[in-house]
Amino acid sequence: MAVGTILRTVKQAVWLGWKVETNWADPIVFAIYYLVRPVAGLLIVGFIFLIGSFVSGIIDSNLFTFLFIGNSFFIYVIQIMMTMTMLIHEDRAHYEVLKHIYLAPGSLSWYIVGRALNGVMNASVSLLLTLGLGIAIFQYGLGIQVPINWLGIDWGLLGLTLLLGIVCFMGMGFILCGINIMTSKVQFMLTEYVSGILYLFGGVVFLPEILPTWGQQISNALPVTYFLKTVRSSFLHQANFDVQLNLLYLVVTMIGTVLLGLAVFKVAMFKARRDGLIDKKEEY
Amino acid sequence: MIIPIITLSTYIFLYKMVRAPPEYASFVIVGGTMMAFWANVLWNMSAQFYWEKETGTLEAYMVAPISRMAILLGMALGGFVNTTIRAVAVFIAGILIFQVPIAIYEPVTALLIFFLTIGALYALGMMFASLFLLYGREAWHTANLLQEPIQFLSGTYYPTSSQVVPFMVQLLSSLIPLTFGLDGIRKVAILGQGITAVWPNILALTIFTLILLPLARQALSFMENLGKREGRLTLRWQ
Repeated sequence: MAVGTILRTVKQAVWLGWKVETNWADPIVFAIYYLVRPVAGLLIVGFIFLIGSFVSGIIDSNLFTFLFIGNSFFIYVIQIMMTMTMLIHEDRAHYEVLKHIYLAPGSLSWYIVGRALNGVMNASVSLLLTLGLGIAIFQYGLGIQVPINWLGIDWGLLGLTLLLGIVCFMGMGFILCGINIMTSKVQFMLTEYVSGILYLFGGVVFLPEILPTWGQQISNALPVTYFLKTVRSSFLHQANFDVQLNLLYLVVTMIGTVLLGLAVFKVAMFKARRDGLIDKKEEY
Repeated sequence: MIIPIITLSTYIFLYKMVRAPPEYASFVIVGGTMMAFWANVLWNMSAQFYWEKETGTLEAYMVAPISRMAILLGMALGGFVNTTIRAVAVFIAGILIFQVPIAIYEPVTALLIFFLTIGALYALGMMFASLFLLYGREAWHTANLLQEPIQFLSGTYYPTSSQVVPFMVQLLSSLIPLTFGLDGIRKVAILGQGITAVWPNILALTIFTLILLPLARQALSFMENLGKREGRLTLRWQ
Protein backbone atom coordinates (compact mmCIF):
# COMPACT_ATOMS: atom_id res chain seq x y z
CA MET A 1 0.00 0.00 0.00
CA ALA A 2 1.27 3.48 -0.86
CA VAL A 3 2.71 5.51 2.00
CA GLY A 4 0.34 8.39 1.15
CA THR A 5 -2.71 6.13 1.55
CA ILE A 6 -1.42 4.79 4.88
CA LEU A 7 -0.80 8.29 6.23
CA ARG A 8 -4.22 9.47 5.04
CA THR A 9 -5.90 6.46 6.69
CA VAL A 10 -4.07 7.02 9.98
CA LYS A 11 -4.85 10.75 9.92
CA GLN A 12 -8.56 10.18 9.25
CA ALA A 13 -8.72 7.51 11.95
CA VAL A 14 -7.11 9.82 14.51
CA TRP A 15 -9.57 12.57 13.58
CA LEU A 16 -12.53 10.18 13.71
CA GLY A 17 -11.44 8.78 17.07
CA TRP A 18 -11.12 12.31 18.44
CA LYS A 19 -14.61 13.20 17.22
CA VAL A 20 -16.21 10.01 18.55
CA GLU A 21 -14.64 10.42 21.97
CA THR A 22 -15.12 14.14 22.41
CA ASN A 23 -18.29 15.22 20.63
CA TRP A 24 -20.61 14.31 23.51
CA ALA A 25 -19.43 17.20 25.67
CA ASP A 26 -17.95 20.67 25.49
CA PRO A 27 -14.14 20.83 25.81
CA ILE A 28 -14.11 21.77 29.51
CA VAL A 29 -16.39 18.90 30.51
CA PHE A 30 -14.32 16.57 28.34
CA ALA A 31 -11.08 17.75 30.00
CA ILE A 32 -12.56 17.19 33.45
CA TYR A 33 -13.68 13.73 32.38
CA TYR A 34 -10.18 12.87 31.20
CA LEU A 35 -8.70 14.24 34.40
CA VAL A 36 -11.02 12.92 37.10
CA ARG A 37 -10.67 9.17 36.57
CA PRO A 38 -6.86 8.94 36.42
CA VAL A 39 -6.45 11.40 39.31
CA ALA A 40 -8.99 9.47 41.39
CA GLY A 41 -7.10 6.25 40.55
CA LEU A 42 -3.86 7.86 41.74
CA LEU A 43 -5.57 9.13 44.90
CA ILE A 44 -6.82 5.62 45.73
CA VAL A 45 -3.36 4.04 45.59
CA GLY A 46 -1.77 7.14 47.12
CA PHE A 47 -4.07 7.01 50.15
CA ILE A 48 -3.66 3.24 50.51
CA PHE A 49 0.09 3.88 50.60
CA LEU A 50 -0.21 6.77 53.06
CA ILE A 51 -2.65 5.09 55.44
CA GLY A 52 -0.73 1.80 55.33
CA SER A 53 2.58 3.60 55.91
CA PHE A 54 1.07 5.70 58.70
CA VAL A 55 -0.08 2.67 60.69
CA SER A 56 3.20 0.83 60.12
CA GLY A 57 5.15 3.94 61.17
CA ILE A 58 7.41 4.22 58.09
CA ILE A 59 6.71 6.55 55.15
CA ASP A 60 9.26 5.78 52.42
CA SER A 61 9.15 8.55 49.81
CA ASN A 62 11.13 6.42 47.33
CA LEU A 63 8.39 3.80 47.40
CA PHE A 64 5.81 6.54 46.93
CA THR A 65 7.70 7.83 43.89
CA PHE A 66 7.79 4.27 42.54
CA LEU A 67 4.00 4.08 42.87
CA PHE A 68 3.43 7.63 41.61
CA ILE A 69 5.36 7.17 38.35
CA GLY A 70 4.10 3.62 37.78
CA ASN A 71 0.44 4.47 38.26
CA SER A 72 0.69 7.66 36.17
CA PHE A 73 2.37 6.04 33.16
CA PHE A 74 0.06 3.02 33.29
CA ILE A 75 -2.50 5.39 31.73
CA TYR A 76 -0.96 4.53 28.34
CA VAL A 77 -1.71 0.85 28.82
CA ILE A 78 -5.30 1.48 29.89
CA GLN A 79 -6.07 4.02 27.15
CA ILE A 80 -4.57 2.01 24.30
CA MET A 81 -6.18 -1.23 25.49
CA MET A 82 -9.53 0.49 26.02
CA THR A 83 -9.51 2.23 22.64
CA MET A 84 -8.46 -0.85 20.69
CA THR A 85 -10.82 -3.20 22.54
CA MET A 86 -13.88 -1.01 22.17
CA LEU A 87 -13.45 0.13 18.57
CA ILE A 88 -14.32 -3.17 16.86
CA HIS A 89 -17.48 -3.48 18.93
CA GLU A 90 -18.48 0.16 18.42
CA ASP A 91 -17.74 0.27 14.70
CA ARG A 92 -19.28 -3.11 13.93
CA ALA A 93 -22.24 -3.47 16.26
CA HIS A 94 -23.09 -0.01 17.53
CA TYR A 95 -22.48 2.33 14.57
CA GLU A 96 -22.41 -0.45 11.93
CA VAL A 97 -19.59 1.14 9.90
CA LEU A 98 -16.89 -1.53 10.13
CA LYS A 99 -17.90 -3.07 6.80
CA HIS A 100 -17.52 0.33 5.09
CA ILE A 101 -14.12 0.89 6.67
CA TYR A 102 -13.09 -2.61 5.59
CA LEU A 103 -14.12 -1.89 2.00
CA ALA A 104 -12.41 1.54 1.85
CA PRO A 105 -9.07 1.84 0.00
CA GLY A 106 -7.07 2.20 3.24
CA SER A 107 -6.26 -0.87 5.30
CA LEU A 108 -8.25 -1.77 8.43
CA SER A 109 -4.99 -2.37 10.32
CA TRP A 110 -3.78 1.18 9.70
CA TYR A 111 -7.21 2.52 10.63
CA ILE A 112 -6.88 0.69 13.97
CA VAL A 113 -3.39 2.15 14.42
CA GLY A 114 -4.86 5.63 13.85
CA ARG A 115 -7.59 5.06 16.43
CA ALA A 116 -4.98 3.75 18.88
CA LEU A 117 -2.87 6.89 18.28
CA ASN A 118 -5.89 8.91 19.31
CA GLY A 119 -5.87 6.91 22.54
CA VAL A 120 -2.16 7.78 22.92
CA MET A 121 -2.98 11.48 22.53
CA ASN A 122 -5.69 11.28 25.18
CA ALA A 123 -3.40 9.31 27.48
CA SER A 124 -0.65 11.93 27.10
CA VAL A 125 -3.03 14.71 28.12
CA SER A 126 -4.25 12.63 31.09
CA LEU A 127 -0.65 11.83 32.07
CA LEU A 128 0.46 15.47 32.14
CA LEU A 129 -2.59 16.53 34.14
CA THR A 130 -2.24 13.59 36.54
CA LEU A 131 1.45 14.25 37.15
CA GLY A 132 0.79 17.94 37.79
CA LEU A 133 -2.21 17.43 40.07
CA GLY A 134 -0.59 14.43 41.77
CA ILE A 135 2.45 16.53 42.74
CA ALA A 136 0.19 19.39 43.85
CA ILE A 137 -1.92 17.11 46.06
CA PHE A 138 0.68 14.78 47.52
CA GLN A 139 3.80 16.94 47.68
CA TYR A 140 2.35 20.37 48.38
CA GLY A 141 -0.98 19.34 49.93
CA LEU A 142 -0.03 16.31 52.03
CA GLY A 143 3.70 16.94 52.46
CA ILE A 144 5.02 13.73 50.84
CA GLN A 145 8.41 14.36 49.25
CA VAL A 146 8.56 13.13 45.67
CA PRO A 147 12.30 13.03 44.89
CA ILE A 148 12.09 13.80 41.16
CA ASN A 149 14.38 16.38 39.62
CA TRP A 150 12.01 17.67 36.94
CA LEU A 151 14.79 19.56 35.15
CA GLY A 152 17.06 16.54 35.06
CA ILE A 153 14.76 14.01 33.37
CA ASP A 154 16.53 11.93 30.71
CA TRP A 155 14.20 12.97 27.86
CA GLY A 156 15.98 10.81 25.29
CA LEU A 157 15.50 7.66 27.34
CA LEU A 158 11.93 8.63 28.23
CA GLY A 159 11.02 9.33 24.58
CA LEU A 160 12.54 6.04 23.40
CA THR A 161 10.79 4.09 26.18
CA LEU A 162 7.45 5.70 25.39
CA LEU A 163 7.84 4.90 21.70
CA LEU A 164 8.73 1.26 22.38
CA GLY A 165 6.00 0.94 25.00
CA ILE A 166 3.29 2.43 22.82
CA VAL A 167 4.18 0.16 19.87
CA CYS A 168 4.18 -2.80 22.25
CA PHE A 169 0.77 -1.94 23.75
CA MET A 170 -0.62 -1.53 20.24
CA GLY A 171 0.63 -5.05 19.55
CA MET A 172 -1.39 -6.24 22.57
CA GLY A 173 -4.31 -4.19 21.30
CA PHE A 174 -4.24 -6.05 17.97
CA ILE A 175 -4.57 -9.33 19.86
CA LEU A 176 -7.67 -7.92 21.58
CA CYS A 177 -9.05 -6.60 18.27
CA GLY A 178 -8.61 -10.09 16.83
CA ILE A 179 -10.46 -11.67 19.74
CA ASN A 180 -13.24 -9.07 19.51
CA ILE A 181 -13.80 -9.55 15.81
CA MET A 182 -14.42 -13.26 16.37
CA THR A 183 -16.60 -12.83 19.47
CA SER A 184 -19.48 -10.68 20.72
CA LYS A 185 -19.98 -8.57 23.82
CA VAL A 186 -16.72 -9.47 25.54
CA GLN A 187 -15.13 -6.06 25.03
CA PHE A 188 -15.67 -4.73 28.58
CA MET A 189 -14.60 -7.94 30.27
CA LEU A 190 -11.56 -8.27 28.00
CA THR A 191 -10.29 -4.78 28.82
CA GLU A 192 -10.74 -5.33 32.54
CA TYR A 193 -9.03 -8.73 32.52
CA VAL A 194 -6.03 -7.58 30.50
CA SER A 195 -5.49 -4.25 32.24
CA GLY A 196 -6.15 -5.86 35.66
CA ILE A 197 -3.56 -8.59 35.09
CA LEU A 198 -1.00 -6.09 33.79
CA TYR A 199 -1.72 -3.81 36.77
CA LEU A 200 -1.21 -6.65 39.23
CA PHE A 201 1.87 -8.26 37.72
CA GLY A 202 3.49 -5.32 35.89
CA GLY A 203 5.16 -3.73 38.91
CA VAL A 204 2.86 -0.71 38.64
CA VAL A 205 2.16 0.26 42.26
CA PHE A 206 4.20 -2.21 44.30
CA LEU A 207 7.57 -3.89 43.90
CA PRO A 208 7.25 -7.20 41.98
CA GLU A 209 9.45 -8.77 44.69
CA ILE A 210 6.38 -8.71 47.00
CA LEU A 211 4.65 -11.23 44.71
CA PRO A 212 5.05 -14.98 45.23
CA THR A 213 7.70 -16.65 43.04
CA TRP A 214 5.23 -17.68 40.32
CA GLY A 215 3.93 -14.10 40.26
CA GLN A 216 7.43 -12.72 39.87
CA GLN A 217 7.97 -15.04 36.90
CA ILE A 218 4.84 -13.67 35.24
CA SER A 219 6.04 -10.14 36.01
CA ASN A 220 9.41 -10.88 34.40
CA ALA A 221 7.71 -11.97 31.19
CA LEU A 222 5.58 -8.85 30.80
CA PRO A 223 6.75 -5.91 28.67
CA VAL A 224 4.89 -3.49 31.00
CA THR A 225 7.35 -4.35 33.78
CA TYR A 226 10.34 -3.26 31.65
CA PHE A 227 8.45 -0.27 30.28
CA LEU A 228 7.79 1.08 33.77
CA LYS A 229 11.29 0.22 35.01
CA THR A 230 12.83 2.21 32.17
CA VAL A 231 10.40 5.11 32.61
CA ARG A 232 11.38 5.26 36.31
CA SER A 233 15.06 5.18 35.33
CA SER A 234 14.60 8.15 33.02
CA PHE A 235 12.96 10.12 35.86
CA LEU A 236 15.32 9.08 38.62
CA HIS A 237 18.64 9.11 36.74
CA GLN A 238 19.60 5.51 36.95
CA ALA A 239 21.59 5.32 33.70
CA ASN A 240 23.48 2.13 34.38
CA PHE A 241 23.68 -1.46 33.17
CA ASP A 242 20.20 -2.30 34.47
CA VAL A 243 18.65 0.41 32.32
CA GLN A 244 20.26 -0.97 29.18
CA LEU A 245 19.20 -4.48 30.12
CA ASN A 246 15.61 -3.36 30.83
CA LEU A 247 15.56 -1.50 27.52
CA LEU A 248 16.79 -4.62 25.75
CA TYR A 249 14.08 -6.72 27.44
CA LEU A 250 11.51 -4.11 26.43
CA VAL A 251 12.65 -4.27 22.79
CA VAL A 252 12.58 -8.08 22.78
CA THR A 253 9.14 -8.32 24.43
CA MET A 254 7.85 -5.54 22.15
CA ILE A 255 8.95 -7.38 18.99
CA GLY A 256 7.39 -10.60 20.31
CA THR A 257 4.11 -8.87 21.23
CA VAL A 258 3.81 -7.01 17.93
CA LEU A 259 4.50 -10.14 15.87
CA LEU A 260 1.98 -12.11 17.93
CA GLY A 261 -0.58 -9.30 17.74
CA LEU A 262 -0.36 -9.01 13.96
CA ALA A 263 -0.51 -12.78 13.53
CA VAL A 264 -3.60 -13.11 15.74
CA PHE A 265 -5.29 -10.20 13.98
CA LYS A 266 -4.51 -11.63 10.52
CA VAL A 267 -5.91 -15.05 11.43
CA ALA A 268 -8.96 -13.41 13.06
CA MET A 269 -9.64 -11.30 9.96
CA PHE A 270 -9.34 -14.35 7.73
CA LYS A 271 -11.85 -16.25 9.85
CA ALA A 272 -14.11 -13.19 10.16
CA ARG A 273 -14.22 -12.77 6.37
CA ARG A 274 -14.82 -16.49 5.83
CA ASP A 275 -17.59 -16.68 8.48
CA GLY A 276 -19.24 -13.35 7.64
CA LEU A 277 -18.41 -11.69 10.95
CA ILE A 278 -17.27 -8.30 9.63
CA ASP A 279 -20.82 -6.95 9.41
CA LYS A 280 -22.26 -9.11 12.17
CA LYS A 281 -25.20 -7.44 13.93
CA GLU A 282 -25.60 -7.55 17.68
CA GLU A 283 -28.08 -5.99 20.04
CA TYR A 284 -28.33 -2.55 18.47
CA MET B 1 -15.22 -13.24 40.14
CA ILE B 2 -11.65 -13.11 38.80
CA ILE B 3 -11.61 -9.38 37.95
CA PRO B 4 -12.43 -8.19 41.51
CA ILE B 5 -9.91 -10.66 42.95
CA ILE B 6 -7.22 -9.24 40.64
CA THR B 7 -8.02 -5.69 41.78
CA LEU B 8 -8.14 -6.67 45.45
CA SER B 9 -4.83 -8.51 45.14
CA THR B 10 -3.11 -5.39 43.82
CA TYR B 11 -4.20 -3.29 46.78
CA ILE B 12 -3.46 -6.05 49.31
CA PHE B 13 0.07 -6.39 47.91
CA LEU B 14 0.42 -2.61 48.17
CA TYR B 15 -0.52 -2.79 51.87
CA LYS B 16 1.99 -5.63 52.25
CA MET B 17 4.72 -3.51 50.68
CA VAL B 18 4.24 -0.80 53.31
CA ARG B 19 3.90 -3.40 56.10
CA ALA B 20 0.37 -2.45 57.15
CA PRO B 21 -1.38 -4.74 59.70
CA PRO B 22 -3.34 -7.70 58.24
CA GLU B 23 -6.78 -6.20 59.00
CA TYR B 24 -6.11 -3.67 56.22
CA ALA B 25 -6.18 -6.55 53.77
CA SER B 26 -9.59 -7.44 55.26
CA PHE B 27 -10.71 -3.84 54.66
CA VAL B 28 -9.80 -4.26 51.01
CA ILE B 29 -11.75 -7.50 50.71
CA VAL B 30 -14.88 -5.97 52.27
CA GLY B 31 -14.52 -2.93 49.98
CA GLY B 32 -14.06 -5.08 46.89
CA THR B 33 -17.09 -7.17 47.83
CA MET B 34 -19.30 -4.11 48.24
CA MET B 35 -17.93 -2.69 44.98
CA ALA B 36 -19.72 -5.51 43.17
CA PHE B 37 -23.03 -4.02 44.36
CA TRP B 38 -22.04 -0.50 43.37
CA ALA B 39 -21.10 -1.76 39.88
CA ASN B 40 -24.46 -3.52 39.72
CA VAL B 41 -26.28 -0.33 40.70
CA LEU B 42 -24.46 1.67 38.02
CA TRP B 43 -24.46 -0.71 35.07
CA ASN B 44 -27.36 -3.09 35.61
CA MET B 45 -29.83 -0.66 37.07
CA SER B 46 -28.99 2.99 36.35
CA ALA B 47 -27.74 2.29 32.85
CA GLN B 48 -30.53 -0.19 32.10
CA PHE B 49 -32.69 2.47 30.45
CA TYR B 50 -29.71 3.36 28.23
CA TRP B 51 -29.47 -0.24 27.01
CA GLU B 52 -33.23 -0.39 26.46
CA LYS B 53 -33.14 2.88 24.53
CA GLU B 54 -30.25 1.73 22.33
CA THR B 55 -31.88 -1.63 21.60
CA GLY B 56 -35.24 0.00 20.91
CA THR B 57 -37.18 -1.68 23.72
CA LEU B 58 -37.66 1.34 25.98
CA GLU B 59 -40.97 2.11 24.25
CA ALA B 60 -42.34 -1.24 25.45
CA TYR B 61 -41.52 -0.34 29.03
CA MET B 62 -43.07 3.11 28.63
CA VAL B 63 -46.42 1.85 27.38
CA ALA B 64 -46.67 -0.91 30.01
CA PRO B 65 -49.21 -0.12 32.77
CA ILE B 66 -46.63 -0.18 35.57
CA SER B 67 -44.59 2.43 37.38
CA ARG B 68 -40.98 3.10 36.42
CA MET B 69 -39.99 2.42 40.03
CA ALA B 70 -41.49 -1.07 39.78
CA ILE B 71 -39.44 -1.80 36.64
CA LEU B 72 -36.27 -0.63 38.35
CA LEU B 73 -37.12 -2.52 41.53
CA GLY B 74 -37.52 -5.72 39.54
CA MET B 75 -34.21 -5.12 37.83
CA ALA B 76 -32.63 -4.33 41.19
CA LEU B 77 -33.86 -7.59 42.72
CA GLY B 78 -32.64 -9.65 39.77
CA GLY B 79 -29.30 -7.89 39.78
CA PHE B 80 -29.03 -8.16 43.55
CA VAL B 81 -29.39 -11.96 43.50
CA ASN B 82 -26.71 -12.35 40.81
CA THR B 83 -24.40 -9.84 42.44
CA THR B 84 -24.80 -11.41 45.88
CA ILE B 85 -23.63 -14.77 44.55
CA ARG B 86 -20.61 -13.10 42.94
CA ALA B 87 -19.88 -10.92 45.98
CA VAL B 88 -20.04 -13.86 48.40
CA ALA B 89 -17.67 -15.80 46.14
CA VAL B 90 -15.25 -12.84 46.05
CA PHE B 91 -15.47 -12.45 49.84
CA ILE B 92 -14.79 -16.12 50.56
CA ALA B 93 -12.05 -16.38 47.92
CA GLY B 94 -10.38 -13.24 49.25
CA ILE B 95 -10.40 -14.57 52.82
CA LEU B 96 -9.08 -17.97 51.77
CA ILE B 97 -6.38 -16.67 49.42
CA PHE B 98 -5.01 -13.98 51.70
CA GLN B 99 -5.82 -15.60 55.06
CA VAL B 100 -7.12 -12.34 56.46
CA PRO B 101 -8.75 -11.90 59.90
CA ILE B 102 -12.57 -11.77 60.11
CA ALA B 103 -14.35 -11.41 63.48
CA ILE B 104 -18.16 -11.29 63.33
CA TYR B 105 -19.65 -11.38 66.82
CA GLU B 106 -23.01 -9.83 65.85
CA PRO B 107 -24.10 -11.33 62.52
CA VAL B 108 -27.57 -9.73 62.76
CA THR B 109 -26.02 -6.26 63.04
CA ALA B 110 -23.73 -7.03 60.08
CA LEU B 111 -26.72 -8.12 58.00
CA LEU B 112 -28.74 -5.08 59.06
CA ILE B 113 -25.99 -2.68 57.94
CA PHE B 114 -25.50 -4.63 54.73
CA PHE B 115 -29.19 -4.47 53.77
CA LEU B 116 -29.49 -0.81 54.75
CA THR B 117 -26.45 -0.06 52.54
CA ILE B 118 -27.98 -1.99 49.66
CA GLY B 119 -31.28 -0.12 50.11
CA ALA B 120 -29.57 3.28 50.04
CA LEU B 121 -27.38 2.33 47.06
CA TYR B 122 -30.28 1.07 44.97
CA ALA B 123 -32.31 4.19 45.81
CA LEU B 124 -29.36 6.23 44.55
CA GLY B 125 -29.26 4.01 41.46
CA MET B 126 -32.92 4.73 40.74
CA MET B 127 -32.12 8.43 40.82
CA PHE B 128 -29.28 7.95 38.34
CA ALA B 129 -31.61 5.92 36.13
CA SER B 130 -33.62 9.07 35.50
CA LEU B 131 -30.58 10.62 33.81
CA PHE B 132 -30.41 7.70 31.40
CA LEU B 133 -34.01 8.33 30.39
CA LEU B 134 -33.02 11.63 28.83
CA TYR B 135 -29.33 11.49 28.07
CA GLY B 136 -27.26 9.11 26.00
CA ARG B 137 -23.52 9.18 26.04
CA GLU B 138 -23.43 12.00 28.61
CA ALA B 139 -25.10 9.72 31.15
CA TRP B 140 -22.97 6.79 30.03
CA HIS B 141 -19.77 8.75 30.61
CA THR B 142 -21.13 10.05 33.92
CA ALA B 143 -21.70 6.49 35.10
CA ASN B 144 -18.15 5.70 33.95
CA LEU B 145 -16.95 8.68 35.92
CA LEU B 146 -18.63 7.43 39.09
CA GLN B 147 -16.28 4.50 39.52
CA GLU B 148 -12.79 5.54 40.70
CA PRO B 149 -13.94 8.82 42.32
CA ILE B 150 -16.59 6.96 44.35
CA GLN B 151 -14.07 4.28 45.28
CA PHE B 152 -11.71 7.02 46.43
CA LEU B 153 -14.28 9.08 48.36
CA SER B 154 -16.16 6.20 49.95
CA GLY B 155 -12.94 4.60 51.22
CA THR B 156 -13.54 1.35 49.40
CA TYR B 157 -9.99 0.18 50.09
CA TYR B 158 -9.10 2.13 53.23
CA PRO B 159 -10.85 3.62 56.26
CA THR B 160 -11.79 7.25 55.57
CA SER B 161 -11.74 7.83 59.34
CA SER B 162 -7.91 7.64 59.30
CA GLN B 163 -6.05 10.74 60.51
CA VAL B 164 -4.21 10.84 57.20
CA VAL B 165 -7.41 11.55 55.24
CA PRO B 166 -7.96 15.33 55.02
CA PHE B 167 -11.12 16.80 56.55
CA MET B 168 -12.48 17.95 53.17
CA VAL B 169 -12.26 14.42 51.79
CA GLN B 170 -13.99 13.07 54.89
CA LEU B 171 -16.70 15.69 54.49
CA LEU B 172 -17.29 14.76 50.85
CA SER B 173 -17.22 11.06 51.66
CA SER B 174 -20.02 11.55 54.20
CA LEU B 175 -22.34 12.46 51.30
CA ILE B 176 -22.08 8.92 49.90
CA PRO B 177 -24.14 6.13 51.53
CA LEU B 178 -21.49 3.55 50.63
CA THR B 179 -19.04 5.25 53.03
CA PHE B 180 -21.30 4.60 56.03
CA GLY B 181 -22.07 1.08 54.87
CA LEU B 182 -18.41 0.14 54.41
CA ASP B 183 -17.40 1.69 57.70
CA GLY B 184 -20.17 -0.12 59.56
CA ILE B 185 -19.56 -3.50 57.95
CA ARG B 186 -15.82 -3.23 58.64
CA LYS B 187 -16.43 -2.36 62.29
CA VAL B 188 -18.78 -5.32 62.76
CA ALA B 189 -17.11 -7.91 60.51
CA ILE B 190 -13.41 -7.15 60.97
CA LEU B 191 -12.92 -5.21 64.17
CA GLY B 192 -15.47 -7.30 66.09
CA GLN B 193 -17.52 -4.31 67.28
CA GLY B 194 -21.25 -4.36 68.03
CA ILE B 195 -24.38 -2.32 67.45
CA THR B 196 -23.35 0.29 70.04
CA ALA B 197 -20.42 1.25 67.81
CA VAL B 198 -22.34 1.36 64.54
CA TRP B 199 -25.67 2.98 65.43
CA PRO B 200 -24.61 6.28 63.73
CA ASN B 201 -24.01 4.27 60.54
CA ILE B 202 -27.45 2.66 60.83
CA LEU B 203 -29.07 6.05 61.36
CA ALA B 204 -27.21 7.66 58.43
CA LEU B 205 -28.11 4.82 56.06
CA THR B 206 -31.77 4.96 57.09
CA ILE B 207 -31.87 8.71 56.47
CA PHE B 208 -30.18 8.28 53.06
CA THR B 209 -32.80 5.69 52.02
CA LEU B 210 -35.71 7.80 53.24
CA ILE B 211 -34.47 10.84 51.33
CA LEU B 212 -33.27 9.12 48.16
CA LEU B 213 -36.34 6.98 47.41
CA PRO B 214 -38.87 9.87 47.05
CA LEU B 215 -36.20 11.90 45.23
CA ALA B 216 -35.71 9.05 42.76
CA ARG B 217 -39.47 8.94 42.13
CA GLN B 218 -39.58 12.67 41.48
CA ALA B 219 -36.51 12.58 39.26
CA LEU B 220 -37.86 9.70 37.15
CA SER B 221 -41.17 11.46 36.63
CA PHE B 222 -39.50 14.79 35.81
CA MET B 223 -37.01 13.32 33.33
CA GLU B 224 -39.68 11.20 31.63
CA ASN B 225 -41.90 14.24 31.08
CA LEU B 226 -38.95 16.31 29.89
CA GLY B 227 -37.92 13.54 27.53
CA LYS B 228 -41.44 13.34 26.09
CA ARG B 229 -41.61 17.12 25.63
CA GLU B 230 -38.24 17.30 23.89
CA GLY B 231 -38.78 14.09 21.91
CA ARG B 232 -35.62 12.53 23.28
CA LEU B 233 -37.07 9.66 25.26
CA THR B 234 -36.45 7.03 22.61
CA LEU B 235 -33.74 8.81 20.66
CA ARG B 236 -30.91 6.38 19.87
CA TRP B 237 -27.20 7.00 19.24
CA GLN B 238 -27.12 10.23 21.23
